Amino acid sequence: MSEKTKAALNILLSMLLALGAGAIVVALQGESPVEAYAALIRGAFNGKLKLGTTLAGVTPLLLTSLAFIVAAKAGAFHCGIEGCVFLGGIVAAYIGINWTFLPGPLQLIACFMGAMLVASLWSMIPGVLRIYFNVSEVCCTILMNSVALYITNYLVSGVMSAGTSLPQSADVDPHVRLTQFMKPSSANTGLFIAIIVTVFIMTLVYRTAFGFKLRQIGTNPANAEFAGTDPKKMFISAMMLAGSIGGIAGAIEVLGVHGFFLNNFASGLGTNGMLAALICKNNMFVAPLISFFIAVLKSGAMGMQQATSVPKSLVDTITAVFIIFACMNLIGDIKKNRDLKEGRT
Amino acid sequence: MQYILKKAGEKLDSEYIVSMEGIKKTFGSVQAVKNGEFNLKKGEIHSLIGENGAGKSTMMKLLYGMYPFDAGTVTIEGKKYESITPKTAIEAGIGMVHQEFMLVKELTVLENIILGFEPTKGLTIDFATARKTVQKYIDQYNMDIQLDKKIAQISVGEAQRVEIIKILTRGANIIILDEPTAVLTPQEARRLFEILNNLKADGKSIVFISHKLNEIMEISDRVSVMRQGTYMGTVNKVDTNENELARMMIGRDVFLNIEKKKSSVGDAVLQVEDLWTSGEKEISKIRGLSFDVRAGEIVGVAGIDGNGQSELIEAITGLRKVEKGKVILDGKDITNLSVKKIREAGLTHIPEDRNTRGLNRQFSIGDNLIEVTLDKEPFSKNGFLKKDAVKKFAEELIEKFDIRPAKAELPTSYLSGGNAQKVVVAREVTLGGKLLVASQPTRGVDIGAIESIRSILQDVKEKGLGVLLVSAELEEIMSLSDRIIVMHNGKITGRLNAEEANEEELGMLMMSGKEGGEA
Repeated sequence: MSEKTKAALNILLSMLLALGAGAIVVALQGESPVEAYAALIRGAFNGKLKLGTTLAGVTPLLLTSLAFIVAAKAGAFHCGIEGCVFLGGIVAAYIGINWTFLPGPLQLIACFMGAMLVASLWSMIPGVLRIYFNVSEVCCTILMNSVALYITNYLVSGVMSAGTSLPQSADVDPHVRLTQFMKPSSANTGLFIAIIVTVFIMTLVYRTAFGFKLRQIGTNPANAEFAGTDPKKMFISAMMLAGSIGGIAGAIEVLGVHGFFLNNFASGLGTNGMLAALICKNNMFVAPLISFFIAVLKSGAMGMQQATSVPKSLVDTITAVFIIFACMNLIGDIKKNRDLKEGRT
Repeated sequence: MQYILKKAGEKLDSEYIVSMEGIKKTFGSVQAVKNGEFNLKKGEIHSLIGENGAGKSTMMKLLYGMYPFDAGTVTIEGKKYESITPKTAIEAGIGMVHQEFMLVKELTVLENIILGFEPTKGLTIDFATARKTVQKYIDQYNMDIQLDKKIAQISVGEAQRVEIIKILTRGANIIILDEPTAVLTPQEARRLFEILNNLKADGKSIVFISHKLNEIMEISDRVSVMRQGTYMGTVNKVDTNENELARMMIGRDVFLNIEKKKSSVGDAVLQVEDLWTSGEKEISKIRGLSFDVRAGEIVGVAGIDGNGQSELIEAITGLRKVEKGKVILDGKDITNLSVKKIREAGLTHIPEDRNTRGLNRQFSIGDNLIEVTLDKEPFSKNGFLKKDAVKKFAEELIEKFDIRPAKAELPTSYLSGGNAQKVVVAREVTLGGKLLVASQPTRGVDIGAIESIRSILQDVKEKGLGVLLVSAELEEIMSLSDRIIVMHNGKITGRLNAEEANEEELGMLMMSGKEGGEA
């Protein structure tokens, strides 16, 4: 069995075990697991609205998992993608509302550029702290998520407030709205932007000299330094790149889904992306599938709750169990790896 | 080779204190021992030799119970064992001194020796009894150990003696030493040999794992040879010589002592002027070094590990900050420039630690071969990698330098030490440049690879590059260098021409003139 098939089987088996664990919980509540899962599937795919909602849910996960993986390829554990989504969102909203002096398409591009710029600068902070002051990027990014949330909260409650009772911004200019193609769901052309970004990042990481260096410092910084790559510069670049992907996700949510900045809209998006990345062990090519799976669970959960008495939070349990099993390496290559290593010494 | 089999072991089985037959051991898909055989007589020093990966260490680890063996029989003092654990091995009187010492740095020597076997008095450790027992062994074998120092404060040679005492106090009669001299100076090695002879005289049986033939000829009574996991035979030392042993190990003749070629020496390509730099712990590890390397010559830096050689190399190659002084490469001041700039100025570097510095073990052979020239055509164009060009280049080098297995896509973690080192050497030598800095270029590689790497260094010199060679192997320094610099404690304690140098003198200079001083 090749390493790849092993990894694929591992994920598949974990998925089945997680669903099985979920089924047990459902059964304990006196409901039929088959019915609950059928309701979940129906809730995710049955009809334009439901399918569209699932697709709209995939979009940010695709990007946030990708962002986490890019940072991970350079050796960083970037928990702060969510903060980047918030900041990307608020910048896109600001430019979308105020920069009407630009012609439509240019304004749209400005929204994305602004979101990427601010999010990457935001993400640069933990990178610099890590490299020059040895501050753990994990702690730093987790804390900065709250800071980012409160900054946007402050802005939409104050200067950018639409004046409504809910903290949210005014509507963005209609020119910069991303087309929703499966109304009444919020699925929008942002999905295609996300796919393009994913393909672009895959190419960047695996086909360019920049990507080579990024993977180089992630796997062996001492060797990278020896070969003439500057690990410091590359680490910070990778953090910034990850941040900017998060920024794009925020811009898509604001311009595509809501049309304005809704307070707290991104809560959970960064974390769920991170979970998707962890499940597939930072494999960029598998992450989209996992993102899709999580999005299906999330959007089908409501349908399941309505059709049965199973609470929708069950899907969080399933996701958690999924991660635990996926990280356990069920196919047992841990032991084999250890033997191999010892054999070589 | 089978004709040598049993030549020295025709007598009855019962005379053997240990006998291992038909041993097999597989790790994953790697068959480390295919057909292992080993017999140890009571009161002999028996060397087990072979190239890296020949299975000699694995055989002894199997005997010590560190891994279970897949097939075969092991008999210790007449008793057959189906399986062995370290516990049963210790009970059977086997002790092993590993390549990496198993000592706790922050505990004292005495504490380390009794660790796990502490004599107790009520609830407390009975240090007085412990000290008495341990001291008995120290006196008996004339070991020279300070019991109250912490491990962190003693020399490598002394730590090794602590390991030996440790296994003696556990009642070992059979002592296995895994490449014990790899970390020692010639003087320390001689001291170890005295101790081993004392142990032998006292009836202990000793297994000596090594691949240094000169030592084996000095210390052994009998020698067993392994090649690629298979037992090749056992010979009495008196019936054999270094060449025969080398042939048994490798399967062909080897030429390690290459005839030194005189090439025309040109201008200085590297000038180091009053160099100061810091170490990990010390503020000034290197204190005011000056020397030069000229085109077409090999300058060897001799010294015991940890006397500033690593820091010197890192300072020259841009991996460590220079505090004071100048490094000039081919007339250009490269002091504290970035690694990239220094490499562009013509420096190539075989680092001492190939696994962390020299290679990215998760990357393929091909990627490792181009990692320095990544940004240049034909390997990348407009920032995009040209995989075809990388593959073609990799395949050329793999063939030219005989890297095995010859698969450009294979991660270097799958390569043996010798082949991994060949990847590093291939990359750096192909870069050309003005100066090659080679630090421990043959450490931990097999004899075949040592032979080819040494001749490559000669070729590099003949092409007119300067070579700065750092090696802990005096024999390597002496057989390759034109001039020799000896370092001790961050300073140069001797400069010699290779013709006038001998091992004793170098050893003395390495310890700064004090015979038997602290390493």
